[in-house]
Formats: sequence, structure tokens, C-alpha cells
Amino acid sequence: MDPISSIPTVTQREQWTVEEMVSEIYQLFSSVPHHAQTIMLELRRDQHIEFLTRGLRQLGPSFRVLDANRPWLCYWILHSIALLGESIFSDLENNSIDFLNRCQDPDGGYGGGPGQLPHLATTYAAVNALMTLGGQKALSSINRDKMRTFLLRMKDPSGGFRMHDGGEMDVRACYTAISVASVLNILDPELVENVGNYILSCQTYEGGIAGEPGSEAHGGYTFCGLATMILINESQRLDLRSLIDWVAFRQGVECGFQGRANKLVDGCYSFWQGAVFALIQRLNSIIVEQLRALDVGGSLSWRSICTGAASNLSEGECGSDVKSYQTDERFHAKQKEFSDIGLNFIKIPAELGPLFHSVALQQYILLCSQVQDGGFRDKPGKHRDYYHTCYCLSGLAVCQYSWCKDADSPPLPKAVLGPHSNLLEPIHPLFNVVLHRYYEAHNFFMGS
Amino acid sequence: MHGRPRKPQKPVDDASIAKAAKLRVLQAQFFQNHHDKIYAKEALEISAKLLETNPEAYTAWNYRKLAVEHNLRSETDPDAIKAVLDEELRVVESALRRNFKCYGAWHHRKWVLNKGYSSVDHEFRLLDQFQKADSRNFHAWSYRRFVAALKNMSEEEELKYTTDMIETNFSNYSAWHNRSVLLSHLLKQKIEGFTPREKVLTEEYELVHQALFTDPDDQSGWFYHFWLLDQTVTPGAPVLVSSWPAHGSDLFVSFKGNLDGGVSSSFTSFCSDKGAFPLIIYFNQSVGGINSSTVTVKHLFDKNEDLIWVPLATNNSGNAQAWVTFLRFPDVKDDSLKAYPVEVKVGHSQCAFTVSLRSIDSKHGEGGSDMEMIVWKDDSFHASEPLLLSPPVVSLDQATTNKEPEQIDSRWHEETLANEIALFQELLSEINCKIGKLTLARLLRAHDKMIYKMPFADEKTHSKEVLDLFSDLMKLDPSHSRYYKDEHSLVLMEQVVSNRESLLTYCWKYGEAHPSYLCNPICLRLSKLSLSRIGSFENLLWVQMLDLSHNELWSIEGLEAMQLLSCLNLSNNKLRSFTALEPLKLLKSLKVLNISYNEIGAHSIDTSRYLFSSPLSHTVGDDWNIDAYVTDGVKMNYWEAAVIFKGLYLTQLDVVGNAIVDEKFNLFLTHILPSLVWLDGDRVY
Repeated sequence: MDPISSIPTVTQREQWTVEEMVSEIYQLFSSVPHHAQTIMLELRRDQHIEFLTRGLRQLGPSFRVLDANRPWLCYWILHSIALLGESIFSDLENNSIDFLNRCQDPDGGYGGGPGQLPHLATTYAAVNALMTLGGQKALSSINRDKMRTFLLRMKDPSGGFRMHDGGEMDVRACYTAISVASVLNILDPELVENVGNYILSCQTYEGGIAGEPGSEAHGGYTFCGLATMILINESQRLDLRSLIDWVAFRQGVECGFQGRANKLVDGCYSFWQGAVFALIQRLNSIIVEQLRALDVGGSLSWRSICTGAASNLSEGECGSDVKSYQTDERFHAKQKEFSDIGLNFIKIPAELGPLFHSVALQQYILLCSQVQDGGFRDKPGKHRDYYHTCYCLSGLAVCQYSWCKDADSPPLPKAVLGPHSNLLEPIHPLFNVVLHRYYEAHNFFMGS
Repeated sequence: MHGRPRKPQKPVDDASIAKAAKLRVLQAQFFQNHHDKIYAKEALEISAKLLETNPEAYTAWNYRKLAVEHNLRSETDPDAIKAVLDEELRVVESALRRNFKCYGAWHHRKWVLNKGYSSVDHEFRLLDQFQKADSRNFHAWSYRRFVAALKNMSEEEELKYTTDMIETNFSNYSAWHNRSVLLSHLLKQKIEGFTPREKVLTEEYELVHQALFTDPDDQSGWFYHFWLLDQTVTPGAPVLVSSWPAHGSDLFVSFKGNLDGGVSSSFTSFCSDKGAFPLIIYFNQSVGGINSSTVTVKHLFDKNEDLIWVPLATNNSGNAQAWVTFLRFPDVKDDSLKAYPVEVKVGHSQCAFTVSLRSIDSKHGEGGSDMEMIVWKDDSFHASEPLLLSPPVVSLDQATTNKEPEQIDSRWHEETLANEIALFQELLSEINCKIGKLTLARLLRAHDKMIYKMPFADEKTHSKEVLDLFSDLMKLDPSHSRYYKDEHSLVLMEQVVSNRESLLTYCWKYGEAHPSYLCNPICLRLSKLSLSRIGSFENLLWVQMLDLSHNELWSIEGLEAMQLLSCLNLSNNKLRSFTALEPLKLLKSLKVLNISYNEIGAHSIDTSRYLFSSPLSHTVGDDWNIDAYVTDGVKMNYWEAAVIFKGLYLTQLDVVGNAIVDEKFNLFLTHILPSLVWLDGDRVY
């Protein structure tokens, strides 16, 4: 074989194009004087707020393809505004609550728009949007009893969840169901039963988590899978060592994250992959335990040790006979335990520093994803949208607080790239809701 | 949106407005039909139009499912049923052409196919189109697996499909990944055509070479090559690689005092006042379940069943590369120098050595006082007399393993690796490529490990070449330099200690007189080698005095295997925390420790902690209470140090030159180490 017959593939050419665009931006950045650099790194708060508020009031007809995702638009916009530390006019707030209420199904859950079937993804978006709005009116508009009925109806006998009646089953569905149940304080052993087994069956040999068994590891699903496992207190069953390995290698020369191996960088993975690290930082004691199982040689597979442990767990903890202990005190004890996981998790001090380059990621978000007229985009050359705005800002918040031991303490100036006015509100990485809004919702639903 | 009237502020093009208006009308009609349960042809057409405009309208997919169920309820004619279902497939297809990332559309298609009336072959043709348009689409890959399972397609056929996809585009990592998953199954189940494993893997190497040589800058092929290399070198059954006492050695155990020099090599002498000596066995990989039923020890003074094996790793998992037990000897004065044989058997591996006992008169004069300070200065050491010395380096002629069953296998492994090495050397002579260099370095290391395992192999190792590659990589790829540095250190260490001649140049005799606990006054001096990690412990089990000063160590992982260590110098390194010293907890013979001039206490967050495999547990242990070390009413913040030191009986410790050190810390040390005689060169009273 002749080694110099090098012909770049399409994928390779696309990769080079992106690298070139990004590197031009970085070269420009490094060539300008310091004060100009500061301006380049500035978060364009006013422009973002203007872009976001406009979307909340009025969307153009090109948004028709998102017609089945309208609670998502509410969440993306409201969460972005909350991250920027701003609030919205009360008329918009009332309108949003009323609108989301019209998406709520009489039998529980939220649909993609009024009259549409309830769907887990839009239910998650609606609940997160209402949490972000906060206050008695928003929080009490959620019908928790019916929500539990809906979630149970979505549960497949195998353990996973379906997105809607007769819909597809995947890791996304598990995350959105468990996340909603957790914040509404309705998570119980019946909902949790066998979810862990389903997620485990989606972790690939490379370490990341796929959307469904047999697929390729993927950033969004890796976040969803890990967050789900934490919320049901089973994260120790995942092979966290190889998961860290996989995610760590998704940050590339462009400084941002890719979603899968050999794909192009995309700003939205700043959150999906970045938040995995925010979760990992609080799983130190479990990671330590798992590393203990590996030695210098490290050749025995962790998986074999961990599946052994897993089978014990599924027999002992979430055995098939859930009904029988439903009346039992144990059921209520478990329920109590689940209700505190989200809150306790964020109280764990971060024992590890971030296992990714948090300043580099901020550089990608601010210089390559940020659109000067407001909003964020996938990568240079693409258009801005609310989805990328939400997840670029969420990723930026993750970076800024990544060196903080305590989730709600302010970060050191050097952890925040650009002027200090760039600092966003901290989020709860399990739910991607601004932290103090989560606290408020948690108190509210614990009380009810 | 959001139920509010739309008043465009900016002029939007008319076509777009018209489309949105049309969608609203369709939607209103659709919801009316859905609500009234109307499943007539016209109603279905409306939902089809809605879905073709907005495939994400999952409510409409469900409506269509209800409609199909309703319309098929009274239908028995297979052609009519097929017509109804074909219409569904048509709607899905045009929806997918609008948005082929739509979950609902793919799911609806699976639902239709599951009814069993539709042609699966058509699905493959459709998939070919979609996968050509976006070869990384995970919905399509997932649907493909669904259809293949439905048709009961063999994994071989699907493997062939990945070949086609890869040949169309070498960069398609989804195809490579699917290939690795399929192939793992096929190899595991030993399907016809997929045995022997060696033949299959050889073909895979050929395939991946085409990709790598066509476009060495693309990642996909390299990832697959790593997977393949892993399949090639995954070790089989654990093998015993070394032991202490070494196979074939004659151990002299003396008790109470020093050994009478001259009779034996110092390398095989040991003093004990506990009536026992350690037996350490070291494997090529971590193993669990070592106990008296898996290891048989024939020894005159112990019953095999009574031996308790302990894993030498600072974890509770029960797996370790090194295991230790203690063999007893009787307290007799036996001047006949009778050699008692000891035999150890583990699986196919075995080793044998002899033990001679002698008691030493207390008048014996060679030893200095146990209270004397060990001085780690150059002039404390003398070149040792080579004739007397024969360090028990693991060598192949003392092969302890029965290797026959793996003979053919290893030849294939070796040839494969040699072939890969030649190929990548050629590639790198043409282009400069980071991942190529890393792959070549990994191949060379795998190859060296393999010939090392083979009997009577007389080949030279590639240490020099590997070291050059890692040095290059440190310069080429500075952001990963720490990883390369660690690998470089491990290879360098291997090179230094893997043969007698080289090892001897690092062995020095300590002092004229030495304390009694140091019955083997040979110091292995591996200072100033700029090591960041250490390894090759299988050759170092005999060492009692070790100097690792003036390196760049940030971890001493694995050191716990060196059970005989009594004097250890780790000064002037880059150790960042007491956590990094965790292996010391298991070195029960340790008396003298120098950790001066490191970086302990200089960093608030220990980022290295997650990287090494034996960090501290958060459960400090029930037997221990930090309050016991509260002095002068001040609660000390030294629990990490306390966890390391509480079980050690150090007589000499040097800690100066670490950020953590102050008067309070030194006071704490004297409390937690009551046996301490020397602290930073000063006598402790």
C-alpha cells in the first residue's frame, strides 16, 4: 500500500473547514489589543434579552415546524432569560402560565400545544418552564396527582418509559419522566423499577450512553442517562471511569464539544457534555470506589464486577414484587429517600475540579457560538436559534461555576472568561433550572 | 405562537405566511376529526398533509394508529389490509423526506412493520437512500437493526453492510462502531466463518489499513484500530510473573540481629524478629480470589490451609496484581545451614525456592545502632562489589510457567504486531501524525510485552524507539504531555530494571554500618531520571532501600508491592497531597521515609486524585478517631496525613520543604508517630 495516496474524506474536509473558521476567529482574537479582547469576550446581555423577549412575544411563521414543541420554546427562552438574571414582564409571565396550562392534559402531562397528546419531552419542558417562572401561580398550576398517573401510564413493563401513548422508548424518555417526578416530589419505587437496568443496557463499550440498546454513544443521551441514574440513586452501577474517558475526549481542538465520535463541534453540547462533568464532580466517592476495583494492571473489566453488583441490587432493592411492598413502610421510606436526592446532590461539595477545559469551552461559546445581535448558534456559519441559545448559556453557566466547591457560592474571577459582568446565575445540573428557582420549587412541592 | 395573535413586525415573505396559515387550518381540522373519532378517507388525508408539513406532530401519528386499528377491525381481505398499511408507509416516507431526524415518524414505521404485512426488502432500499443522505443518522441505524431483527437477518449480512458503508466513506464512525459490536458477537459465538479468531482479526487489520492509509487525518479508522489492538492483546488467563523469594533462590532468614555477610548474596537475605517472612506473588494482571484453595504452598512449618493471602493494593475490591502471605519458621538454633524447600503452585504457574535459617548472636558487630540516622547523601553510598551481587531479575530462563497451550496463539499475536509495527513505521516515514505515533508506541509496547511472555525469545525490545516516540509526542501535543510523560517514565523504568547489567549500575551499597532492620544494605538509586510514574515492580520485589529523589513523581501507585521496603526517599518530587502517598499504608516494614521538598499542601484542589487508582476512601475507618489527635484544643486539619501515618512505625521522617509544614504540623507528626526518632534531621524527644 502506498502511504502517500492521502485523499481526505468528506467528513475530513468538513472538519477542516470548521477548524479553519474557528481558528480564524481565534487568530483575530489573539491579534487585537487587550481591551479589544475584553470587548470580544463580552456577553452581549442586552442583545440576548432583546432576542429572547421577542421570541416570547412573537414568533415568525418559520417556527411552524416547532408547532409540536411549544412548551420547549417557553422553556428555552424563559430559562435563558433566568440565566441572564433577568425577569420578564408580568403580562408575559401570566400569558406563559396560562398557555402552558392549556397544554396540560386533563389526564396529566403536557402536550406540544393545546389539544395535543401529552408527551414526556414537552412535559419536562413545561415543568421546567414553570419552575423557572416560579411563584405560587405557576407551581400550583401543575396537577401532580394526574402527573403521576400519566408517568405510570408511560412506563413500559420492561422498565423504560415511552415518550407518549404508543410512542417510542429511549433514554430521553427515562430522563424526562424521572426528572419531572423528582422535582414534583412524586418519585417512588414503582416509577423507578427497572429504569436502571434499561439505562445500563444503553451504556456502550466506549463508555458513553446511547439512545437505545445497541446504538452509538451520544452526548445528549449520556447526560440524560447519567442524570437519571443519579436521581434514582443507582449511578454506581454505571462504568463511570469509561464514561469520563469518553466524555473527556469529546472536547476538541475547536475548544467546544462534539456530540459523538468524529462529528463536528456544536455549541449545544457545551451543556450536554459539559454538565456531565458538573455531575461527575459530585460523584467523587462513587468514582473512588470504582477506581479501587481497578489496579495497576487494570485489565479486569470493571463491567464484570459491576454487573455482579447490579444483579444483587435488582433482586434486593427493586425486585419485581413492587406491589407487595407498596403498602409497606419500606415503600414510603424509599419514596422519602427519592424526594431528597436532587437537593442532597447539589449540597455535596465538588471534590474534583472540572475534568474538561472550562476556560477553553467559554472561549468557544463566547467567540464562536455567540451572535453579536443576540442569541447563540451551533457553530460559525450557522443561524442562531432558541435551542442553541438555551444550551450555550446553560453550558456557559456550568463552566463559570466549575471550580466552585459549593454550588451556590460565587466563582473566583479567573474562572469566568471575559469581563465579570459575564457571570450568569448558577444552575442545578441535574434539571438544568436556575438554582434558586429549583430551591423554591423543591420547598413548594415538599410542602404539598 | 403561545396562543397569542400574530402581528409580524418585520415584513416576512408571503409564501411563509401562507404556509403557516395553511398549517393552522389543517391543524384545526385535524383536531376536530381526532376529537370526533372520524377515520374516513378525507379525514386521514388531512392528517397526512399535516404530518407531511410538520412530521413532529406526534398527536397526528397516534391518530393514524387509531384510524388504522379502527379501519382494520372489520377487514379480512389481506390485499385491503396491505393497502391500508402501505398508505401509512407512504406518509411516513414523505414525512421522513421532510425531516429524517423525526422520532415519531420512525416509530410509526416500526409500528406498521410489526403488523407483518409489509415487504422488508423495500425497507432496506429505503434505508440505503436515507443512509446515503446522512450516514451518521442514528435513527436510521437503529431502524436498520430493527428491520434486520424482523427479517431474522444474520449478523454476517449486517457486517457486510458495514463493509459497504465503510468502503463508501472511511470516515463513517457509526459504521465502524456497528461493525465492532457485530463482530464482537460473531467472535464470541464462534459463528461459522468467524473462526479462527486470528484469521478474522487479520482481515479486519487489512480493512482498517485501507482507511488509515487513504486518509490518515480522519479519526474513525484510528478508533477502530485501537479497538482491534485491544482485541489482539487482551490477556488470557492470569500468569505468575515473579515472586519473592524468587524462583530458584536460596533465602537466608536470620532472626535477632544482622546477617553474617559474605556467605550469600545480600539480595536473598532477610531478617525478621517476628518468626515469619513474607511470600509475595506477582501476576501479569489484577487477580482476585487468591486463597489457600487457589494457591498451594508446600512448606515444612506451615499447613497450606492456614495461610492467609492479602491483596497488595489499597482497595477493598479483592483484586490486585501482587499478593502476600507470611510463612513461619521455628525459633531453633540450627547451624547446619539446612535448606528447607518451599514450593508454590498457582494455576499453571509454579515457583520453588529454599529457605535456610540462622540465628545471630547479639554480639554481632557489623550493625550500627538502630537509632542512627540514614543519610541520603551521595557519599553514603559505594559502588557495590558486582561479583557478590545477583539481583533476582525475572528472566526467561527461570520460566515458571507452563506455556504450551498458548503456543500457536502467541506466534500469531507476535506476527500480527510485527506486521502492524512495520506498516506504521513506513507510514510515519512519510507523514508526521500524532495519532500514528501514539499507535506505533502502543504497538511496540504490546509487542515487547508479548515477546517477554514467550519462552526462549531472544529479541531486543523497542524501549529506545518507544521513548523517542513519547518524547516527540510531548513536543507535538503539549496539551496531553502529562499522559505521554507518564508513559515515557514507565518505559524508561522498564528499560532500567529489566536486565541484570543495567540494574546493577543502579545498585549501591549503603554505608559502612547500617541499622539492623536493614539486613540488605543495597540501595536501588533511581534518582534524577525525571520519572513521573513508576512501574516494573515485578523486578523490584527484593528491594529494601529505594531512592527515588529528584524525579517528577506525582504518584507512587503500585509501590505497595515492594513489601520489603524499609527505607524510602521520595524527596524533591511533585507529590501534591498525602492522598498520593496512600500505597505507603501497606508497607509495614517502612522505617525511614523522606518526602521533603514536594508540593504537599501547595494546591487547594488535588486534581490528580481522580487519575490514580488508589486514592483515599472517604470512610476513614471506624477504628480511628481524629479527635484523638486534637492538641491544645485546636482541631487539626491533617486527617489525610493521619490516615497515612497512623499505621506506620517510622523512626525517621523528613517533611521539610512542603507547603503544609509548620510548627503545628510537626507537633501533630510527633503525636501520631510515637516511634519517631528523627524528624527533619533533628532528634525527637
